[in-house]
Amino acid sequence: MTWLEREREAPAAWPGELPVRNRYTFGIAGERFFRALKDEGRILGSRCPRCDILYVPARAFCERCLHGLEEWIDVGTRGEVSTFTVLHANPDGSYRETAEVIAFVRVGDGGLVHRLGEIAPEDVTIGMTVEVVLKPPAERKGSILDIDYFRPVRE
Amino acid sequence: MTAKIKNFPGTALSEKDFEAGKVLFLFDQMKAEYAWDTGVAIGEYLAGLKSGVILGAHCLHCRKTVVPPRIVCEWCYRPMQEFVPLQDTGRVNTFSLCYVTWDVRRIQEPEIPAVIEIDGASPLHGIMHKLGEVDPKKVTIGMTVKALWKPPEDRQGAITDILYFKPWKEGTR
Repeated sequence: MTWLEREREAPAAWPGELPVRNRYTFGIAGERFFRALKDEGRILGSRCPRCDILYVPARAFCERCLHGLEEWIDVGTRGEVSTFTVLHANPDGSYRETAEVIAFVRVGDGGLVHRLGEIAPEDVTIGMTVEVVLKPPAERKGSILDIDYFRPVRE
Repeated sequence: MTAKIKNFPGTALSEKDFEAGKVLFLFDQMKAEYAWDTGVAIGEYLAGLKSGVILGAHCLHCRKTVVPPRIVCEWCYRPMQEFVPLQDTGRVNTFSLCYVTWDVRRIQEPEIPAVIEIDGASPLHGIMHKLGEVDPKKVTIGMTVKALWKPPEDRQGAITDILYFKPWKEGTR
């Protein structure tokens, strides 16, 4: 005799939930970068004089030579679309009604990954110049989402 | 080496610093739900606990009784033949005094997890549970203990249907 039948009263499965919560702090350089974005609406980079590299977002140390970076620069609000992708699905797998464009926007020798707005997905080209659209100061929280999106620069 | 260091470099943050908005931060919460299939043997075991009985499984070939029950004998790999109700008494096989909770909070009164050899199961076969109603200093290996059950209406088919095991003299209720 083997036991193939389950006891009817027996719980079939034991449900549970793992409480996984985290709080991320940005560090010394990140704190300064996001403070400037939140309070002044500025994007900061930091330059390594030895390697002549302008890091965006700003770093505390050069990744190549480990030199401490003290030269902090306002890099303006414009960048260049380096690469992009068009999203038709949400993180949970459900389909979006309108497609969203996510781009890597090159600023200095670095850049930011963000949304593109005020443009149809089929009109986006690599190399186009885009500019920052910030949220109103009252809505900024000190996160990368304080930038609402990037939009094409209209000359 | 770290014992010699008085002040570690860096900036320690307290909960107050976060509340006061001294530092920027992002909070995130992962959805990590799971369901663990109880299977035939553990399902029966949990149903047994709900009705106030600790069940074991018996192998006729090896004459072994194990607890919690399993569907295959670990010694001869044959299917187990029967569930057997065991006593809710036993003796302490090993124990620990635990001054830290599962989420790393310090506590004054220790919790006492213990492995309890259940009466009716083969020697050295037992379950892990907690001890209660006992002075931590007086817990000994080999002491006899008895389960304290939740009231029947509160039981839900879980190992926590037994609140803890408490000291007990053989021959008493």
